[in-house]
Amino acid sequence: MEKGMILVYLEAADGQIVKVSLEALNAAKKLGKPVAAVFIGDASAANAAGAWGADAVLTVAADAFQAEAYANILADLCSRYEAPCLVLGSTRDGKELAARVSAKLGAGCVTDAMDLNENGWVRSIYGGSLQETVAAEGRSVVTVRSGTFGKPEEQAGRTVPVEAVEADSSELRAVIKETVKELAESVNLEDAEVIVAGGRGMGSAENFKLVHELAELLGGVVGASRPAIEDGWVPRNHQVGQSGKIVAPKLYIACGISGAMQHVSGMTGSGYIVAINKDEDAPIFDVADVGIVGNVNDVLPLMIEEIKARRS
Amino acid sequence: MAYLINPEDQDLLQTVKEFCEKEVKEQCKEFDVSGEWPEDIYAQAAEMGLNALEVPEEYGGPGLERLTVAALMEEMAKADAGFASTITASNLALKAVLIGGSEEHKQHCCDLLIEGKHGAFCLTEPMAGSDASNSKTTAVREGDEYVLNGRKCFITNGGVASFYVVTAMTDKSQGVKGMSAFLVDAGTPGLSTGNHENKMGIRTSNTCDVVFEDCRIPASALMGTEGEGYKIAMKTLDMSRTWVGCGAVGIAQRCIDEAVAYGKQRITFGKPILKNQALQFKVADMEIRTETARQMVAHALTLMDKGLPYSKESAIAKCYAGDVAVQNALEAIQILGGYGYSREYPVEKLLRDAKIFQIFEGTNEIQRMVIGKSVIGKF
Amino acid sequence: MELLVCIKQVPDDSVTVTLENGAPKLDGITPVVNAFDTYALEMAARFKEEHGGNVTVLAVGGPEVVPSLRSCLAVGANTAVCLNESAPCDSLGMAHLLAKASQKAGSFDVIFCGVESTDKATGVTGTQLAEALGVPVVTNVLAVEPVDGGVSVKQETEEGYRTIEVPCPCVVTTVKPGYEPRYPSIKSKMAARKAPITELSAAEIGADAAAYGPGAAKVKQVAVAAPPKRQSGVKIQEKETAVAVSRAMEMLAGQKLI
Repeated sequence: MEKGMILVYLEAADGQIVKVSLEALNAAKKLGKPVAAVFIGDASAANAAGAWGADAVLTVAADAFQAEAYANILADLCSRYEAPCLVLGSTRDGKELAARVSAKLGAGCVTDAMDLNENGWVRSIYGGSLQETVAAEGRSVVTVRSGTFGKPEEQAGRTVPVEAVEADSSELRAVIKETVKELAESVNLEDAEVIVAGGRGMGSAENFKLVHELAELLGGVVGASRPAIEDGWVPRNHQVGQSGKIVAPKLYIACGISGAMQHVSGMTGSGYIVAINKDEDAPIFDVADVGIVGNVNDVLPLMIEEIKARRS
Repeated sequence: MAYLINPEDQDLLQTVKEFCEKEVKEQCKEFDVSGEWPEDIYAQAAEMGLNALEVPEEYGGPGLERLTVAALMEEMAKADAGFASTITASNLALKAVLIGGSEEHKQHCCDLLIEGKHGAFCLTEPMAGSDASNSKTTAVREGDEYVLNGRKCFITNGGVASFYVVTAMTDKSQGVKGMSAFLVDAGTPGLSTGNHENKMGIRTSNTCDVVFEDCRIPASALMGTEGEGYKIAMKTLDMSRTWVGCGAVGIAQRCIDEAVAYGKQRITFGKPILKNQALQFKVADMEIRTETARQMVAHALTLMDKGLPYSKESAIAKCYAGDVAVQNALEAIQILGGYGYSREYPVEKLLRDAKIFQIFEGTNEIQRMVIGKSVIGKF
Repeated sequence: MELLVCIKQVPDDSVTVTLENGAPKLDGITPVVNAFDTYALEMAARFKEEHGGNVTVLAVGGPEVVPSLRSCLAVGANTAVCLNESAPCDSLGMAHLLAKASQKAGSFDVIFCGVESTDKATGVTGTQLAEALGVPVVTNVLAVEPVDGGVSVKQETEEGYRTIEVPCPCVVTTVKPGYEPRYPSIKSKMAARKAPITELSAAEIGADAAAYGPGAAKVKQVAVAAPPKRQSGVKIQEKETAVAVSRAMEMLAGQKLI
């Protein structure tokens, strides 16, 4: 592979490139230079990268994810191929890898990029109150927030050479003793056309079932604000907002969500927003196309009933 | 305008305010409905040392100035008056011990409060409320012990206290001069508590009967000497009245806060209701009353600080602040209209909480008697 | 064990920050200890209480950060260190300062950092600090337990968690565990007022002037803007909930959303 290409670290699962990695690839392509995809360990999706726009593919054999090992490999590749930029998806692991690689290379590090303009990368600050544009000088490492750049256009049949390389992953100090998958279902909030999200106003895990019921009825996905997650009403992979997912469905129904900036900044891109809250001053109403002032536990059953009635 | 506290203590005010906002205010709504004693909230408060605010430095307490404690108490009462009443009741028992107890008594009770325990002051009886001298509880000396018999009622913290200050007649023939005060630990055989009262307000505080049936306590449990009990109780109430006033000011302030918050956003006839002068005047009157009551509390506390007589001022502070709390609660309900009458909104609770402040620790009629006598004197 | 907690003072994150003359308007917003750092401190304090040791807190900034250090002394920290340095830094520059300051301040077995700050939220400083010190790091930590020669750490992942063992010294970056930070007590708060705070300067810690400050920053902020505004629509307030719901459903049907 030639030197000077932008590297994108792609994560694969079940032979597919994961969504946020595709977004990272899309962001990398916007930089206007050839892009090489890097697979470490699981290379089952290596042949698919060309169709998503990668200009070259590197695979590195490695054991299952271990942050030190993977960071060492990525830093080694960046140096060896003189990559001006390494782009990753903003998963927890992705951000850790970015921090490690940037420190190893002395490169500027930009995390949670949401957009790219002529001045630099755009990212959220102050809990989504504001957005900053940052420019990285020299070599940089960038992570891309899921739900912001979208997937690149798929060019079916396009293939590029896949090159297997060796890379240095020495000096491992952390030992992973156990990996536990607690959250069985995968939640695809980013691609959902309808999201029904619940917050503290739902009041209990029992009441939160109404959110599930409405979501199911509308063929949508269940979202949540932080308090509902913290109270254990719904697993954390349903979280929308600064510490969760950035979403932009056609319809977003916010149930018992007050509308803290940290949540709102993750869903204002939605096509149409319905908010239900008993507090008529709740800031969620400032971004809602339709707001219903009322007790969400009274409103939701009526909504469910009415939708069913309209359909029959 | 709040109490003019020592600037150094602002950080304490901030801490207590934050705690009350986050852990007390909303949570107590639920306990107001259930009438359950919110044990976890009190445990947290104890952890922070809120039970021991008035413990003097020489007994291991924080050694805070009275005005600082008042500012902290107001925050607690603003969040929930029942919560504040629990703390005040422990301090009421502590005051009695500091006034009439031995060094051992003092250290013992201070240690308990610092550990986060509660105290109760047992004066009131079914037939001896305002007329405390009509006490039927007796204490009979038998060797190195006293034997207590009788029933106390409406005792705040009765069911949750670790120590009880109890008045009992050691010599009925002497009237009030035959009343003595004792320090009794929870768990003493013969001491039992009755059912938790199902109260109109301050429902997060525990109130019940405390019953003594051949309750044997060591002679060393006597506070001061025999016959000093009434004096100790009256001195204690003299001082603690100001603190009850302080709690009432907290309710009065909460009424203003709720009324103003609602009145700013409630639109009628195309404008917020607080744009109407009629309601602005209502708010102004609420503020005038609250601020005057608060400064009366501060004044009584300053007199205590300076070692000057404060009985009359303490009674004024309690009586006036209690009345103000009720008046403000009524006005707050009026400003919120139908919502004010609804349990969905917080102000009806304020009225239920406020009412007791005209009743306990000496009814406002008793306070007026104290004030009147003090002004008129003997003639 | 000797534990260090690196804290950052940030504007209260429950307040929406607005823009004034192209810059964030921060005056009037109460400065607080970054929420994730308070979780880090609570985790460290619990570790100390269970297994023994000391907790030191470290902040970088001018005299304005001293109240934050004092508030940490009231909730579990034993000693506080302030690095008097106010030069704006990017995360790599800050990691350099923290590394040098921690080496000067003592010999620490575990260094706790919040996973990110609520203001800039880069989420990389703790990891870069570990790299600067040449020690292992575990990110997104929920719990820390001592094991022979190191610590066993529970790391939150996208799908669950991992249990990871690392030798000491090491860095952990903390997320919100299943408990809340404690409140200070009246007495701890009063004692913290009088506690000494060790002050260090960049020169004293041997910071490399080429490694921190605005000149050294590899990432520079070039613009700040308010996010795109959304127009609010109709707010339905009806006595009868059923009427409100019907009106809302009509509007949704009109948009062909149901």
